[in-house]
Amino acid sequence: MMDDLLAKFLPQFLAHTRTRVATAIASTAQRDRAAVAKTINELHTVAGEAGLLGLTDVFPLVRDCEQKAKRLRETSAESDVEVLLAALHHLEQVIEGVATPGQPRDDRATPAR
Amino acid sequence: MAIANWGRFIVRAEIHSSSDSVVSYGFDLTESSIFVVTEWHAAIGTPVTVRLSFPKILEPTDVPARIGDIRVAGEPGEPGGIRLVFDTSSQDIREKLVSLLERVNAPITTTAAENRPCRVLIVDDSWLIRDMFTYGTAKFFERPGALAVDHAEDAERAWGKLARSTYDLVIIDYFLPTEDGASLIARLRSDERLSHTPIVAISVGGRDAREATLSAGADVFVDKPLIFRDLFNTLRMLAEGPGPSRQAAERKAILVFDDSPFALALTRAALESAGFSVAIAGDLTSFESQCAAFNPDLILVDVQMPEAFGDDVALTLRRWRGVEIPILLVSSLDPNELARRAQRAQASGYICKGAGMSELVRRCRELLEVAHDG
Repeated sequence: MMDDLLAKFLPQFLAHTRTRVATAIASTAQRDRAAVAKTINELHTVAGEAGLLGLTDVFPLVRDCEQKAKRLRETSAESDVEVLLAALHHLEQVIEGVATPGQPRDDRATPAR
Repeated sequence: MAIANWGRFIVRAEIHSSSDSVVSYGFDLTESSIFVVTEWHAAIGTPVTVRLSFPKILEPTDVPARIGDIRVAGEPGEPGGIRLVFDTSSQDIREKLVSLLERVNAPITTTAAENRPCRVLIVDDSWLIRDMFTYGTAKFFERPGALAVDHAEDAERAWGKLARSTYDLVIIDYFLPTEDGASLIARLRSDERLSHTPIVAISVGGRDAREATLSAGADVFVDKPLIFRDLFNTLRMLAEGPGPSRQAAERKAILVFDDSPFALALTRAALESAGFSVAIAGDLTSFESQCAAFNPDLILVDVQMPEAFGDDVALTLRRWRGVEIPILLVSSLDPNELARRAQRAQASGYICKGAGMSELVRRCRELLEVAHDG
């Protein structure tokens, strides 16, 4: 059953998630403090969707990005901006790996702390 | 057993003669004949084959017949057409007709009271028709709650309801504002999830409306003014009768509340393929109406949503609404946090989205004690 669901829903998930992650990277790179709350919400949604789809590589990465975004919201520190950006770029790469399964998968699926 | 209702229900009737084919509807079905509403006619005695069917009630059944009588349209409620007299020399055909006729008059069993209601969506811009339908069904059905009637006054609102819920039958008027009924029927038929929904088209538009709606995929077309008695008897067979018509409605019903349209679509697809009947809600207003109309056996609610936290929703249902059915929180939150929220909300438990859809389906089966046969 899950194979059928994955085949049907993965393209839609990838399309939405690419857009959401790209938006999160852009607003974080611009140091847009007002956009952090939206980034947190978007990442939370992506985490849930990835989890339900059974994307076990993606789910913990998105959760990690969400936690880093929450920390940035609390501190507004430049170092936390850089940490979040790095995590988001990593997530972006892993998602592309899911989109092109023939390509070598990123082996850094465990989030950096 | 009362016999007042014998044959007073509506079926699709496809007439094939040596030179013509006509699709219409029939009523007044007896063991020996049926009246078919149609402008088509041939000489009395002309042999034809009539295929009778109605989704979930009557499998397509070919019956040899001949034209026994021709009636011109009279008063409202007396449409013109032909009476077909069956050639019942075949034992098989006789048994099928008798079986069908017995079903419409079968007494309501006591277990029927435990069944889920037959859910009907009526799409008509006339408030009078909607009100008459609601009043009529309330009077007609002996068992309170046997039928749950929902309304939409145009195609767009109907589509919204169809996207969120599951109906046993949809009745669609042809003349609707903006988008006509035929277009709505075509949308239903082209949608993977909704394509098998039984559809009755209704209209004052006569032949043009009939051809347009049947071409679009309606199972049956019925002229207005409606003969409510016949339509209600057909609904009664859907709602009360034994056999395959009740299988869909007897499935356990799950209402899913999540602000992510993607999560809703995915969850619904997974649960429906696991054999559940599913309704979805993306906001509080929709959730409120679905709780009342869908009568779920289980509620799945996301936690972090823009309008409310799912644990607050669950607590409100438990504490203030007296809801006793199982409620599960579903979230990508940390499991410890989720467990704490579920306990506070008096929910039946929680599911981590990270555990995947297979786990979600397993927990639903477990809570509803549904056997897994696949």
